[in-house]
Amino acid sequence: MNIEEYISSGIIESYVLGLADAQEVAELEQLKSAHPEIQAAIDSFEASLETAAFANAIDPATTTKDKLMLALQDELIDKKNTQEEATTEAKVVAMPLKPIPSKSANMFKYIAAASIILFVVSAAMNVYFFRQYNATNKQVVALLNEKNALFTDNNNIQAKYQEISNSLQLMSDTNVIKVAMKGIAGKENNLATVYWNSKSKDVYVLANKLTKAPEGKQYQLWALVKGKPIDAGMLNDCNGVCKLKNTQQADIFAITLEKKGGSPAPDLSQLYVLGKVSS
Amino acid sequence: MRHHLTYQYSLEAVKKYSETELVLLLKQRDQTAYSYLYDNYSGALLSVIHNIVSEVELANDVLQEVFIKIWRQIESYDDTKGRLFTWMLNISRNASIDTVRSKAYQNSQQNQELTAIKQDSAGSTQLPVDQIGLRKVVHQLREEYRVLVELAYFQGYTQDEIAKMLGIPLGTVKTRLRNALIQLRTVIKE
Repeated sequence: MNIEEYISSGIIESYVLGLADAQEVAELEQLKSAHPEIQAAIDSFEASLETAAFANAIDPATTTKDKLMLALQDELIDKKNTQEEATTEAKVVAMPLKPIPSKSANMFKYIAAASIILFVVSAAMNVYFFRQYNATNKQVVALLNEKNALFTDNNNIQAKYQEISNSLQLMSDTNVIKVAMKGIAGKENNLATVYWNSKSKDVYVLANKLTKAPEGKQYQLWALVKGKPIDAGMLNDCNGVCKLKNTQQADIFAITLEKKGGSPAPDLSQLYVLGKVSS
Repeated sequence: MRHHLTYQYSLEAVKKYSETELVLLLKQRDQTAYSYLYDNYSGALLSVIHNIVSEVELANDVLQEVFIKIWRQIESYDDTKGRLFTWMLNISRNASIDTVRSKAYQNSQQNQELTAIKQDSAGSTQLPVDQIGLRKVVHQLREEYRVLVELAYFQGYTQDEIAKMLGIPLGTVKTRLRNALIQLRTVIKE
């Protein structure tokens, strides 16, 4: 191939102006490496194109550059920072005064924001749970008191039940003789019952209705054997049935109001109730 | 890096950077170099764009688009394939042809023509805005060459398309276009 002919065939212009097809471009680029005159021709045409374009230059609108910079604003700032970071090592310059808004800084912002939100939420929850705790605490105390009260009630009821149960046991015993002591004239409101075990000779008294003993006084049970009174014990502040003294013999049981601790002989003026033992 | 710069002086303007340095700085995303590039090359590139896009405002829009492309695509510029200006010229030409071929432009062009006819009938003078720079040179070519350069270079048709369009063999299109370009070079160099 004659290179001079090739160069003057118009291929150079075609190539530079972008009018050559792929095959022509490939051919030229291959020949170019072997023939520096091809490159020279290309350079020459490019230079003349450039010169011609500069000779015909038209001033752009003054706003075009502003619009361009505005359009590239984000990219320009980003690239500049990247470049500054990249060249910091090579240049001995002061550290950038402005903090570089990097991804990690953004991340830190998000983390900081998240921490604040978490802190506020946690504080609110603390208050909420503290109130809840106080309320619960009060409820627990109230429930404990209630429980104690119920426990006491229960104990009382159990004690009472025990007495009643005992009394029932006593009353239903076939060996026990029941002696109803009725109020004497003037003391008709009073009533007491003696349960006397004929085998063991134990004596129990149930004060059905007895006027409360005045201060310093106490009721005393008497067993009368052939008209002779025998002390059968003092009625203490027992609930229900009170066990008194074992009594071997008795025709009549009677209760008198005596001085506290009892008397050797009954004060008959203070007789309250009396009942015959039915044999 | 700046202190290594050699200053090139020409009669027209003081060039701050050599082309090699300018390319190097642009590839490093140097804003100052980019600003310099715009200040020094926008006028020449606008003349290239204006050869294809006749409306001044639209041509300025294309110029902006071209410089955005230059900024974003500078990495792909290979200085072994040609000068920086040639690379930018081709970007300008392609962007201009794309604009002219766009539907929006075609529609506005029809309206423009109607307006132009009205203005003409009203007696106003239309400036031959297209007859500057390279296009002016092309206008000096023989008619058969002129049409080919017009279609191939300014309107971006492939030689195959031109052959079909004009009803002449592809070989003839190739030969004529080559001849046209040889003449063009002669005129430009004068």
